[in-house]
Amino acid sequence: MDNKQKLIQWLQETSFRELTLSVDFLVTGYIGYLYVSALVNATPEQLASITWLSTLLLQIIIYSIVLMVISYIVLGLISDNELNQPMDVREKQINLVGYKYSAIILQVGVILALVQYNIAAQGFEFMQSSVPHLPLHILVGAFLLAELAHYGVQLYKGRTGDIYG
Amino acid sequence: MGDPADNKLGISNSIRTLRFLHNEMTQKQLADLIGVTRQTVMAIESNKYSPTLEVAFKIAEVFNLPIDQVFSYRSAK
Repeated sequence: MDNKQKLIQWLQETSFRELTLSVDFLVTGYIGYLYVSALVNATPEQLASITWLSTLLLQIIIYSIVLMVISYIVLGLISDNELNQPMDVREKQINLVGYKYSAIILQVGVILALVQYNIAAQGFEFMQSSVPHLPLHILVGAFLLAELAHYGVQLYKGRTGDIYG
Repeated sequence: MGDPADNKLGISNSIRTLRFLHNEMTQKQLADLIGVTRQTVMAIESNKYSPTLEVAFKIAEVFNLPIDQVFSYRSAK
């Protein structure tokens, strides 16, 4: 079987739910890329500015909503019936496994943000960060990573079929 | 039914063989009849997922067989 046939077989085996999850995964990844690139390209003054930060967060929220709405309209145009089909028991179980990993990442993120906030509040010299509002960035990063894990784990478990491992 | 999966521990099934014997029924057709996705039928067939009792009974009903002729259980004892 050559690569072209393998690709065709893979596409035929791909369910509509996998397609939906892949779109969600890509959109979340793109939102994460926008957020990180905005932080990397920002000047120290911008990073310290609350106005700049709240504008960035607002932008991210608006992008998320717009991209999700567009992607669901496109998916609905491809197959409205399948988009509205309820999940079967196995898919619900896979969804819960996805949420488990997502919750772990969120919990770690929140704890790290709290620790970082306390370090900044106590003013420990040796652990001072050069990034202002770091706890907020940690929270946003954890949220985006948790979403990626939620979709990624569902794609992986759905594809391998092994949901108990 | 002579399926290699029959020798494995845990729950195994002969759905693949039964599908073939029922006019070469496709996974999609079986999935539609029992109200799950084709991916779920694939996972059940390859013994990667144990179906719920309800789904197991529905599969047996489709093939018009008792459930123990579709699914079998081998314990480590």
